[in-house]
Amino acid sequence: MRNRASNTLSKGKIRQSWSKYNLYNLQRFRSPATANRTFFQQKWTAKAVSRAYHGEQVREGQWKRMFSKRIRSVYPMNTADLAMDDGSKASAGRGSGLQEQGKPFHSRLVPYTQMAFAPLERRLDVAIFRALFASSARQARQFVIHGAVTVNGQKMRHPSYLLNPGDLFQVEPERVMYATGAPKTKFERRESRQLKQKSEKEEEAETEAEAKPEPAEKDEKESAKDTLKALMAQAKTIMSTDKDVLPAKRKQELRGFQKAVRRVLSRSETSTILTDSLESQFSELTLMLKATRAEKKPKDAKKSKDQSATEASEETAAASKKSEDEAGNKLSEAFQKAAEGGEVDASELSDEEFEVLRRALTQMRDNPIDHSKPYATPWRPRDYMSTFAFIPRYLEVNQNICAAVYLRHPVARPGSAEVPTPFGESVSTPAYGWYLKRRW
Amino acid sequence: MAPRIQTRVSNALLPLPHFLHILILILLNSLIMLFTIPFPPILGYGRSPDQASPTNGAAYKHHIPGETNYLKDARDMDLTDTTRPFPNNRNFISESVLSEDLRNEVYVRVVEKKKSLRAVSVELGIDMKRIAAVVRLVELERRQKSQGKPMALPYARAVHEMIPVTPLAEQGERPTFHEPINDLPVHPSTGSQIFYPVPESRSFTRVDAGRVFSGAPAMENERKEKISHPSDLAEEVMQNPGSIEWVGKGANARQVLQPADVRIPHPQLVQLERDRMAHPNERRVVADLHAQRLKRQEEAEKKRRERAQERREKSVKHVEPVGGRFDYRIQDAVFTKETVGVDGRAPWAPGRRYGVPTNDRTRGTVKIPTRVEA
Repeated sequence: MRNRASNTLSKGKIRQSWSKYNLYNLQRFRSPATANRTFFQQKWTAKAVSRAYHGEQVREGQWKRMFSKRIRSVYPMNTADLAMDDGSKASAGRGSGLQEQGKPFHSRLVPYTQMAFAPLERRLDVAIFRALFASSARQARQFVIHGAVTVNGQKMRHPSYLLNPGDLFQVEPERVMYATGAPKTKFERRESRQLKQKSEKEEEAETEAEAKPEPAEKDEKESAKDTLKALMAQAKTIMSTDKDVLPAKRKQELRGFQKAVRRVLSRSETSTILTDSLESQFSELTLMLKATRAEKKPKDAKKSKDQSATEASEETAAASKKSEDEAGNKLSEAFQKAAEGGEVDASELSDEEFEVLRRALTQMRDNPIDHSKPYATPWRPRDYMSTFAFIPRYLEVNQNICAAVYLRHPVARPGSAEVPTPFGESVSTPAYGWYLKRRW
Repeated sequence: MAPRIQTRVSNALLPLPHFLHILILILLNSLIMLFTIPFPPILGYGRSPDQASPTNGAAYKHHIPGETNYLKDARDMDLTDTTRPFPNNRNFISESVLSEDLRNEVYVRVVEKKKSLRAVSVELGIDMKRIAAVVRLVELERRQKSQGKPMALPYARAVHEMIPVTPLAEQGERPTFHEPINDLPVHPSTGSQIFYPVPESRSFTRVDAGRVFSGAPAMENERKEKISHPSDLAEEVMQNPGSIEWVGKGANARQVLQPADVRIPHPQLVQLERDRMAHPNERRVVADLHAQRLKRQEEAEKKRRERAQERREKSVKHVEPVGGRFDYRIQDAVFTKETVGVDGRAPWAPGRRYGVPTNDRTRGTVKIPTRVEA
C-alpha cells in the first residue's frame, strides 16, 4: 500500500505520528467551521479530518465494514450507594425518584461519539503505536510486516489482525529502541562506517596483545590503585551534572572509561572475561573492586573503628547475602556487598565516590556507546516524543521487554473516553453521524 | 484519585536506597539537558525560550523527568492542565500506568504469597484483568532476563519519566488506588427507553428494572419477598450460575438482565457495605462475615472450574503412539442441526464435505487469523 500519509503543512492533517510537523499541525488545528454549511458538508469535513488520523492506512470500505454504531461504555459503581438503596428510592414518586431539597443529582455526560473509531484500536498496528513501541502507526505496520512482532508468542505478519482481549503482543526491543530513540548524526554515522572498516584490524591487534607476556607482577598493586583513581575521575565527569561539559566531551570520557574498564578486566585471571557478556564483565569488575576494598578493611578497623562495628556490618552483610541468594540475583548481591563493605573503609574511596563509579558502570552497561546500533548511542528519546507519550488504560504495557497485553476493548465512561483522538466532540459527533447513515 | 507523577526512577537491576533514586533522576535530567540546544529568544514575545508559546516548540523538544510535557492550548496558555495530551479534546486524559515497583509487588502478592486476584485487586485498587496481565508480563520479563535476551531498559526508564505513574505505597502509607475497580458495563438492552407503569404503592427495585429491560414477566410475590436486597442475588448467582432465568425462544433466547449488584466485578464489596450498616462499630464481626463469604465464594468458583475442566477432559481422548513425537487429541464430532446444519453440510461442519467447496478460495473471504492461541 502506497504511503499517502505525508505531514504536509499546507493541508495540515493530523496523523498518528510523532513527527514534529505533525506536532505543528496538531497545535494549529481548529475545528472546522459550521456556519453557512449544510449538514452534509459538515459531516463530510468532520469525517475527512478524523479519518486522516484514525486508520488512514485502512481503506474506506474496510473501515465501513468495521464500524459499529454500538459503543461500549461503563459506569463506575459506588458500593456504598448500592448497599444503601435497592433502587426503590430512584423509582419512587412518579418514577424518577423523590426530589431531595438542595441535592440535585449530577452526572457527567458519557462522550459516546468520541468512541466512533474504537474498532480501529483493536488493530495490531494501532495497538503497537498506542503502546509507544513505534513512532507512527505506519512504522508499527512495517514492524509487523517485517516479522518483528509476536502475538501470544507466535509471529504475526498481519497488521490488520484484530486483537482479542487477553492477547499479548511483543515487539523486538531493538526495533523499539530504534523507533523511539534519537537518530544518529552524520558524525555518528561516519563513526559506525569506520568501525566496520576497522573491526578486522582491531581483532588482529587484540590477538597480538593477548599473545604478549603479561607485565611484571610486582607493581600490580600500585598500578591498580592508579587505574582506580583514573576510573573515578572519568566516572565523575561522565556523571557530573555540570551543563558546561559538551556532549562530545562527555562521550570521549565515556569511551575512555570503557577502555579503562577493559584494561582492568584484562588483568583478571580468567582470559575469557573480555569476550564474555557485559553482565559477567560487570560482576567481575565489581568483584575485583571489592577485593581491593577488602584488603584495607582490617587496617582501618585497627585504626579508627572498634571490632564490634565491623562484626555487626559483617553480620548484616551475611544476612543480606542469605536473603538475596534466595532471590538469585547475583549481580545485585555483588553490589550490596560492595556497598556495605564501603561503610568501613573511608580512606581510599568514599561511599559517594564508589556510588558514582557504580552508577557510571551501570549506565555503561545498560546504555552503552555502540556504533553498530541504528540509533544514536547512548540511547535517548527522540525529540518531541514526550508530547505524544501516553498509554491508554485498555493496554497494560511492560516497557522493559517491549510487550503489552490488550486487556479489553476501549470503553467510554462519564466524562472521559478511552479512544485517543485529537478531535473534540464538534468533529467526532458529525463524523459518527456520517457513518451511521448507510451510503453504500 | 488524581494520578501521581513518579518522582523516583526505579531500576530493576539495582535495589538502590531511596536517596539514590533521586540522585539518578537529577543526573539523568542533566544528561538530557545537555542535548538541548536552546533556541534564540523570539523578539517581541518576551518569553524565555523554554516557555511554551504558540510560536515556540522548543519546550516540547525534551521531556522533564517526572512531569508530563503535553501540548498546551494555544488559546489559553495559562491553563495548567498536565494530563490532557490533546488540547482540543477535553474528554481524553492521559491516565497513569503502574510503576515498576508496583508491578513487582503485584507479582509477589499473587505468585509468591498466593493471594487471589480478587483480593489483590481490592487491596491495590487495580482491575482484575490488569492484575492477570501484570503477572503474565512480569513472568515473561523474568524468563527473558534469565535467558539473557535484550531488554530496552533506557527506553523503559524514559517512558516512565514522561507519563503519569501510580507509585507503590511505602510502608505505613495508604495505597494509591490505580483505577476504579467496580465498573458496570452498560448492557445494550438498557439503551432503549421503556414506559412501564407501576403502582406507587409497589416498591420497584433494580431486580424489577432488569426484568423489564429484558422483557421478562414480573417476579412472583413469594420469590420477591425472599429478596431483601438485590445483592442477595449475587451470592445465589455465584454459587449457581445456572440459576439465572432465560426468556425468549430460539435465537432470541436471552438471560434475564441481573441487577448491578450482581454484574459488577466485585459484588462482595456491596455485601461488605451492607454488613457494615447492619453491624456498626463491630469491626471484628464484619471482618469475620466478609472472610467467611469470600471463602465460600472462592470454594464455589474452584469447584465450578474443576467441573468444567473435568468435562473438557472427558470429551477429548489422548492418544500417544509409542516412540512417536505427537500427542493426538481425538474429539467426537457431534452431528446435530446446530453443529452441521439442516442438510449436514454446513460450512462450519467438521470434516470435508462432498460437493461443498472450501471457503478459503471464495472472493472476499478474510483469511487472516481471528485469534492466536496463547
